[in-house]
Amino acid sequence: MTLTAVHPGHTGTGLFGPAVAALVLTAALAYLAAATRLRRRGDAWPRHRDASFTAGAVVLGYALIASLPGGPFTAHMVQHLVVAMAAPLLLVLARPLTLTLRVLPPGPVRRGLLTVAHSRPVAWLLFPPLAALLDIGGLWLLHRTGLLAAGHGRPLLDAVIRGHVLAAGLLFTFTVCQLDPVRRRWGLAWRGTTLLAAGWAHAVLAKSLYATPPPGTTFTDGDLHTASQLMYYGGDLVEIALATVLAAQWYAATGRAYRRDRLLPHPGGAGAGGDGRPGLTPRKWSASGG
Amino acid sequence: MSSEPATPDRTADRVEPGRSLAVGALIGAAVMAAVDEIVFHQILHWHHFYDRSTPGIGLLSDGLLHTAELIALVAGFFLFADLRRRHALAPAHARAGLFLGLGAFQLFDGIVDHKLLRLHQIRYGVDVTPYDWAWNIAGLVLLLAGIALTVRAGRLAGTRPAGS
Repeated sequence: MTLTAVHPGHTGTGLFGPAVAALVLTAALAYLAAATRLRRRGDAWPRHRDASFTAGAVVLGYALIASLPGGPFTAHMVQHLVVAMAAPLLLVLARPLTLTLRVLPPGPVRRGLLTVAHSRPVAWLLFPPLAALLDIGGLWLLHRTGLLAAGHGRPLLDAVIRGHVLAAGLLFTFTVCQLDPVRRRWGLAWRGTTLLAAGWAHAVLAKSLYATPPPGTTFTDGDLHTASQLMYYGGDLVEIALATVLAAQWYAATGRAYRRDRLLPHPGGAGAGGDGRPGLTPRKWSASGG
Repeated sequence: MSSEPATPDRTADRVEPGRSLAVGALIGAAVMAAVDEIVFHQILHWHHFYDRSTPGIGLLSDGLLHTAELIALVAGFFLFADLRRRHALAPAHARAGLFLGLGAFQLFDGIVDHKLLRLHQIRYGVDVTPYDWAWNIAGLVLLLAGIALTVRAGRLAGTRPAGS
């Protein structure tokens, strides 16, 4: 059988795409309403976060319901890049959890959300290597076992697969960026190494798809080659963006430490303008930015 | 030098030649890897995205190198900005490091990636020997220039008054 369309979204069957699209657009409206309320009461909430969340919701919704360009496997890959990588980044950069916690009044709902966010299972889920394993491991399973072919024509399995792709993409991005308040903060070394490993696995899978299609599928060579290169270079763009988020966090944290050191007299010595020794002993500019 | 030690009444910033050299080398290696990708893969189409004779270990090392290159490029520029912000940049050392990085990566790519791992060749359908020589000699020249600049930067720093 020629697998002409692996996505119900591509052919128009299945309720997963429209349902999630409606959900995420509702979330965007709620986000905008919450941000407006925050500003009205005098809190600072940068507008670019509104823009980021809205853009993330729109591209996600579009990728889930529109018919995407290119051959079937290329369209599948465009959807993967948007649903699992680009849209989660835009949504996570808007710090939705922070906004929710700020806008909710004290009460059972807010307490419940905090309890969940700070619970032990969630803390484990937010361990960067585990999040990466769930995300990239799922990607490998999907493309290197018969899962992709099996999902074809089985709406429930297909919805589960695509739900996992979106959830794991969000989890991975949330964990690596670590912009929202969670129980356990992971240092830059953990998150940076995780990003490196995930990018590595993504690049290897992308390149291997150039020569070997997922088992049980028959795509044309042209479709396969376009999709493979799209996955490879599209992954690069998202990886650069994620690396920039991490590097900017480090830059801001070291900047704060630097200004602190310059303002305070050096504890061990003569302080500013002493015996000609530099008043600033450079700290170890450690990679533990938050 | 744009970053001489400050006047005594200002909290002095310490110039960091070693770190400047390392950051320059990091940027140099990443830039050379990116140039390779953009010029030879994307513009000239000399290199192939996937070469069927590539062994699995080659695919693995290629993926790691490619990912590390992107992260190194981003990290390098932020580390550089940090050196400048703290007035800790030693420009001569950073320049020397840049050449060291460019040359070292070019040589590594030419010898390990092209020849030992046989990831891809410089060009297909032609005798590749002159291309290999040109590639590796260019890398060696860049590396030697980097070494010469490092020595010179070290001498310059040595003649400057202490405390920097």
